Amino acid sequence: MNEISVLMYMLSRKKSIHQIGATKKEILKSLNVKNKNKSVYFQDLLTGLSKYLEPLGLQIIFNSLNSHWFINYDNELTELISANPFEGRPSLSATLLCVLTSCLKNSGHTSIQEIRALRNKKDVKDDIKILEKEGFLELDKKTTNIRLTPLIGYKLDLQKLFVRLALKLKE
Amino acid sequence: MEELDLSEKINKRIALIKDDVLSGKINLLELQLNPIFSEIKNSINIHNIENYSQSYVNALELLNDKFEELKNLLSSLDIEKKFEAFLKTHPNEDQIFDIFRGCWRKTFHFEPISLKFLDYASNRYIKERITHYTIEHLTKEETNDQFLLEVPRYKFTEKIGAFYDKIKKKLPCFFEDVFDNELDQIEIYEQFVYLLHLLQLGKIKYQKDTNTLYI
Repeated sequence: MNEISVLMYMLSRKKSIHQIGATKKEILKSLNVKNKNKSVYFQDLLTGLSKYLEPLGLQIIFNSLNSHWFINYDNELTELISANPFEGRPSLSATLLCVLTSCLKNSGHTSIQEIRALRNKKDVKDDIKILEKEGFLELDKKTTNIRLTPLIGYKLDLQKLFVRLALKLKE
Repeated sequence: MEELDLSEKINKRIALIKDDVLSGKINLLELQLNPIFSEIKNSINIHNIENYSQSYVNALELLNDKFEELKNLLSSLDIEKKFEAFLKTHPNEDQIFDIFRGCWRKTFHFEPISLKFLDYASNRYIKERITHYTIEHLTKEETNDQFLLEVPRYKFTEKIGAFYDKIKKKLPCFFEDVFDNELDQIEIYEQFVYLLHLLQLGKIKYQKDTNTLYI
C-alpha cells in the first residue's frame, strides 16, 4: 500500500452526512509522518496527487468550515452530473440562502423566527426540516436555534457564490 | 543577443512561484509580476520566440490566478451586507435559485474501500507473491480408465477380417495389386495398416525379392 492508496481513501471517505475527507492532522497521522518538514511533505503529497487526479476530472479542495481536505469533481464534470441538490425545489435554495445570510450576520447561529422574517414567509418549518434531513443545518428543537453544518462548504463553492452575488447587486 | 534565451529559466521560476503559492509561503496578491513580464519582453527576439510562447502562457496563467484572488478578496469584503442587500431587493425563489447556478459542487466519495481492507489487501499481496517456481515431476500411476480415442478392439479385428476376405482370392499377387482398385489415399493407407497387421499375425506372407504377397 503506498501513499496514493492511503490518501485516496482518506480524501474520499464519508465520516458522516456532513463530514467528508480528512484533516491535515489525520492524513499525517495515517501516513505516520512525524518529521520537521511535515507541512511541506503534506503539500507535496497533495500537489502530486492532484496531478494524477486532474486527467480523471477530479480535484482536491479544502473545506475551510471544518478544515477537511476532500476530492471534488471538476467544473466540467459537475456540469454533466446533476450536482444541484435542490433541482426543482427553489424554495429550499431560498431558505438556505436566508440561513446562510443570517448565520454570517450572527456568528454562525440563527433562529426559525429570523429565517421567517428574512424569507418573508409564514411557514419555513418544512424547508428547515428538509434542510436538516439533508445535512445542511442542525436545529435545536428546544431553543429553535439553527446552526449551519460544514456540508455547505462541500456542496457550495462559496467564493463563486459571493462573486455571483456581488455581480447581481451591480446589475 | 541572438543566443540569449531565458525561457527555461522563466518557466522554472513560475513553477516555483506556483508551488510557493500552493504551500502558502507567498500570497499571490502581494507578489509583483512585472519583473517576469519585463524579463520576457527584454529577452525575447526573432530567434527564440518559439521557446517563449510557453513562458508567456505560464506568466499569463499566474496573472489570471492573481486576478481571481483579487476578485475573491473584493467579493468577500462585507459579504454579509451584500447578502442582506440582495435579500432586501425581495428576490423571488427562482431568482435565488439562479444565484446558486454554477456554484454547486459534487464531492467524490468512494464508500466500498476502507483503510482496513487496503491494509489487508496489501499484506495479502506481499505474502502471496511467488518469486521462485519449483518444477515437480508427476508420478505415473496405473489406471484402468478407458479413453475416448481408443478404438474398440472387436471393430478393428472385424475390419482386418473383412479386408483379408476381400484380398485372399487375389493371392498370390504383387504388393501393389492388393490396392489396385482403390483410388482414395485414406482408404489405401487404412488398408495398408490392415495388411501390416495381417503380416504381423502371419496370415499373409511377403517375399521381398519378388515383391509378392501370398498365403
